[in-house]
Amino acid sequence: MALTKKKEITTNEFDQTIVGTSLTKEAWKRLKKNRMAVIGGVIVIIYSLVAIFADLLPLYPYDQAITSHRNLRPSLTKTAGELMLEQEMKNLFFQAWRQGRLVLTEEEDAQIEAWVAASKTNNVWDLVYERGTQALENGSFEWSASEQRRIDNILEDIETETLITINSVSAPVDGQMVNIEDMDYETLITLYASLIGSDYESVNQSMYNEVSATVTNELRANDSSLTGEDLTAAVEMEMDAMGEDAFQSRAIQNVIGYIEQLAERGASSDINTMITSGGAQLPYRGVFDLSNGLHVELEVSRMHDRRYICGTDYLGRDLLSRIIYGSQISIAIGLVGTITSIFIGILVGALAGYLGGKVDYYLMRFVDIMYGLPYMLLVIICMAIFGRNIINLFFALALVSWLTIARMVRGQIMSLKNQEYVEAARSMGVGTMSIIFRHMIPNSLSVIIVYSTIRIPAFIMQESFLSFLGLGVQAPYASWGSLIGDAVSSMALYPYKLIIPSIVMVIFLFSMNFLGDGLRDAFDPQSKNQL
Amino acid sequence: MENKELILSVKDLRQHFPIDGGGLLKKTVGYVRAVDGISFDVYKGETVGIVGESGCGKSTTVRSIAQLYKPTTGQILFHGVDLCTADRDTLLRQRRNIQMIFQDPYASLDPRMTVRNIILEPLRIYNRRGLLEKKYTEEELDERVKDLMEKVGINKAFINRYPHEFSGGQRQRIGIARALALNPEIILADEPVSALDVSIQAQILNLISDIQKEMGVTFIFIAHDLGVIQHISHRVIVMYLGKIMEISSSDELYSNPLHPYTQALLSAAPIPDPKLERGRKRIVLEGDVPSPDKERHCCYFYDRCAKRMDKCSKCVPPMFDCGKDHKVACFLYDDHPVAEEASDKPTEGELKLKAKQERKHRNK
Repeated sequence: MALTKKKEITTNEFDQTIVGTSLTKEAWKRLKKNRMAVIGGVIVIIYSLVAIFADLLPLYPYDQAITSHRNLRPSLTKTAGELMLEQEMKNLFFQAWRQGRLVLTEEEDAQIEAWVAASKTNNVWDLVYERGTQALENGSFEWSASEQRRIDNILEDIETETLITINSVSAPVDGQMVNIEDMDYETLITLYASLIGSDYESVNQSMYNEVSATVTNELRANDSSLTGEDLTAAVEMEMDAMGEDAFQSRAIQNVIGYIEQLAERGASSDINTMITSGGAQLPYRGVFDLSNGLHVELEVSRMHDRRYICGTDYLGRDLLSRIIYGSQISIAIGLVGTITSIFIGILVGALAGYLGGKVDYYLMRFVDIMYGLPYMLLVIICMAIFGRNIINLFFALALVSWLTIARMVRGQIMSLKNQEYVEAARSMGVGTMSIIFRHMIPNSLSVIIVYSTIRIPAFIMQESFLSFLGLGVQAPYASWGSLIGDAVSSMALYPYKLIIPSIVMVIFLFSMNFLGDGLRDAFDPQSKNQL
Repeated sequence: MENKELILSVKDLRQHFPIDGGGLLKKTVGYVRAVDGISFDVYKGETVGIVGESGCGKSTTVRSIAQLYKPTTGQILFHGVDLCTADRDTLLRQRRNIQMIFQDPYASLDPRMTVRNIILEPLRIYNRRGLLEKKYTEEELDERVKDLMEKVGINKAFINRYPHEFSGGQRQRIGIARALALNPEIILADEPVSALDVSIQAQILNLISDIQKEMGVTFIFIAHDLGVIQHISHRVIVMYLGKIMEISSSDELYSNPLHPYTQALLSAAPIPDPKLERGRKRIVLEGDVPSPDKERHCCYFYDRCAKRMDKCSKCVPPMFDCGKDHKVACFLYDDHPVAEEASDKPTEGELKLKAKQERKHRNK
């Protein structure tokens, strides 16, 4: 029965419009008065917007690893190059101090020894860097020839090293320029074959080999016990099951990568001459027509001009970008997990509560059994069996998380079942499903909403816990949990890697909890445990 | 009464609720005999009042008539159609003519629906299945809702409001409008005024009598309050422990109560005149209402009756016709002709339970 939501305007005898205030509207009014909840809500919205529009933000790619930018500390003012230089000088000053060339006071020497013994490396570096730069300025210390050479090398790298980002590559097909991303499999393979001077068949074959190699690696990653014939058989099965379309889409990705590499190599000599002749101002955005017919749009920037507000990780990836892309996954898991669990929970709970009797009995015993199983273990087993990817993570978390909701909804429905308005509906001949969905669920929705806002942080925590254990999100993807998990091993040396994602996560969880609390108070004004 | 048209006839209605013995398997250990074999007729255009103390089965009776519970045994004949055995479709068709007004106006309206949707809900169901006189459009239905609101005395400008924005009396009016929406022949009013304060009670009662005069609806009206029943009913049924004690026209019953229980009940009603009230003689019954979970083969009032005789403990008294449409289930009047035989056959479930217990007993 479609409920028409139409609301014609009614007026009383004084021409004042009369608008009904629904319970939801009143709850919303109360929520707006709760400052903590509003702040929480705003923060949650900001987080979600940032996560949704991460692709539009001026971020460095979250999976681009630059080897020379490993483990840079967060800095608002210094570029990556300056930080690299600083780090190199710290190392050199420390070596010089060991060799006795950098002379410090006796207390400082003792202090450094103590720090080294307690492995407080950062303190040591900071102190020798400070004293060393002072010594350089007043001339009491000079670099040795080899040290000077290393510093000069870094300085030169900073000047010259560039980063080429390919925006698009097109190639002529039947006299027209076509973007390679829009090409179908056969054209793409033909193009690549002609570029490397090979024929279609051999390229096609090598693509097949490559894809099966990746499949082999995936299988091995999921199940390390597979070897020899088993593995070959499993790979063949997997390749057969994959089908033509899936195979082609995988192969297309590989080929696009190769062609982009070719294009980059082709353009790099032109770019180098341009830079050495001083013809281009970096960062440079340009179009190149290569001799092999490719048409490349690319961007050249100085590699070491990058700024890392949150530092970089152990592979030289931008931590800020990883945190933001990680929040995409973390928040999505929270949402999807909650939504699926609500769906299953409402369905099971409503049926059990309304129908009662045997149905109720068996459904609830099933829930009891599921409750009895150690639930983290269940998720871990699930992940181990079905492989570690995000979809399976969603699935595994949702599988065990609907239990509480189902019980809650059942309780609600059972108490609503004997309400007079439900009896009234029954006496008017409203059908069972209609009663459940039009009367009972809307009336228990407030409880469900409150519970699910409180569930979202729990899901994020669980995902983080799994990722922390290495069972959750796999590289190159990141989530808050996996970032924290990665950072733990180098906690003493690079504490920022642990602290920044933790703070980001904690703020979100707190906001979500405050919002949930606020919602509960708003929907249930009589409850005594208000903030 | 002869020219009156019979529309509802209840025959030996029993409503037994199983008692779960707790434990894992939820065995049934007995039955609460909420309504235990009652029969009465309802004629078109009259108001039948049902009185009795709490737990005597008044509400269960009307809920069984409305088919909110499936009766254990017995027949509910509405225009000759047995509702208990009717299939879904017939039931839906018949239900249109049997609507309910509920006791608690705060609980009987869905708090998340507007007044429009509350009153529209029965209309929509029947309109969608084409069970109304014709297919109405949304606008026509809307008009009808507004008419109904006017009829029960609510400003139709409040159509988009929610129940919590109204007072108890207004809510009860909405409930009445909902019951009237389908133009039913009979309305079951389950203590419609007991949750309201006295001034509002009068308004609602007057509204109900107005509606009856205007639309010719038949009412079955439950109340605790003897005054309310006297005011509104044409005929009164007195119930005790799931049994009918006395049926009579209202004036006759109040002036000449026959059954000892009725006499006691009426003597408990205060008289709104201090002088008379001081002189009022109360018949105080001894003991409490016994538990309704036992099978009885005596008069149901035997334990507490001041005029009990040996005969009363032997078998259930039939209804004796004392003339003037006055029937009473008491052996004090056994010189009158029997109007209805009493039946105290146990129900199937009870027989099964008894057999089971006997088997257990024998095994021991």
